[in-house]
Amino acid sequence: MSAELSAALAAEEAAIYAYGILGVQLTGEGDLAEARAAEAAHRARRDALVSRLSALQASAAPAPAGYDLPFEVTDRAGALKLAIQVEDGVAQAWRAVLPASEGADRATALNALIDAAVRATRWRRLGEVTPATMAWPGRA
Amino acid sequence: MATMVLTYRVKRRQLIRLAAGTALSATALAGCGLLDDDPEPVPPPDALQPVLDEALQLAAAYDRAVLAEPGLAKRLQPLAEDHRAHAAELARVIGVTLPSGAPASSAPVAGGDAADSVATLRKAELAALKTASAACRTAPAARAGLAGSIAAARATHAEALR
Repeated sequence: MSAELSAALAAEEAAIYAYGILGVQLTGEGDLAEARAAEAAHRARRDALVSRLSALQASAAPAPAGYDLPFEVTDRAGALKLAIQVEDGVAQAWRAVLPASEGADRATALNALIDAAVRATRWRRLGEVTPATMAWPGRA
Repeated sequence: MATMVLTYRVKRRQLIRLAAGTALSATALAGCGLLDDDPEPVPPPDALQPVLDEALQLAAAYDRAVLAEPGLAKRLQPLAEDHRAHAAELARVIGVTLPSGAPASSAPVAGGDAADSVATLRKAELAALKTASAACRTAPAARAGLAGSIAAARATHAEALR
C-alpha cells in the first residue's frame, strides 16, 4: 500500500504546485473561492498522507521544487483546463489506493477520490465544459 | 462462490430440520421453496447487486425526466449514459445478463411512472452514492476500484444537478 500512498502524495504535491500557478490567472470571485478551497483540501490530504506514510515507516520521495506543466497557462481558460487535469490526476492516484488498502485507509482513499472527482466536475461547470461528468472517475 | 453455496446448503439443512421438528403448515413450507422439486439452490445475491439495481433505476428515471421535459436532454442524457455504462460493467463482473427490455436497453415508455424532478434525481444520486460507497469499503480488492469509481461518478452527478 505504501507505493500507492506515495503516488497519491506525489499527485497531491503536484496539485498544490499547479494551483499556485493557475490561481494567478483567476480573477472572478467564484473561481478564486473554488481554487482556494481546492488548494486547502490538497494541503490537508498531503499532510495526512505524510503522517500516514511516516506511521507506516515508508519513505516518500521529497516533492520536486518545480514541475513541467502539460501546457503554458496564460489565461483563465488555461487555468481551468489545468485545474481539471490536476483533479483528474489526483482522482486516478487515489483510485489506485483502493485495491491496495482496506479499512480506514480504503475509506480515506474513497473520500479523496470522490472529492477530487467532484472538484473536477465543479471546474468543468465553471469552464462550461460538457459533459461535466465522466462515467469512470479515477480510471486512467 | 463455492463457499457461498456451501453456506446456503447448511442453512437449507437447518431449515429442513426446523421444519421437521415444528408444525409448519404446508403453505408456509411451499412459500419457503422447501417443497419444490427443483434441487437447484438459489445463490445469495451478489454484494454489488444493489449497486446494479440502482444504476438501472437511475438510468430509467433520467429517461423519464427527459421524456417529460425534452429541454433537459442535454443536461441529463450524459448522466443516464454513465449509469448504463455502470450497469453493463456491473452485470459483467457479477455474471448476470441484463434483462432485455430493461431500462438500460429500451426507450422510455410514456405514461409510466411520473417523471422525477431534478431535485428528486439529485436526492436519488446521493442515496445511490451511499450504497456504492458502502460497497467499495467492504469490497474485495479486485472490485474496490469499480465500486469506488461508481461512487465518485454518482457524487459528480449530484454536483452537476445542483
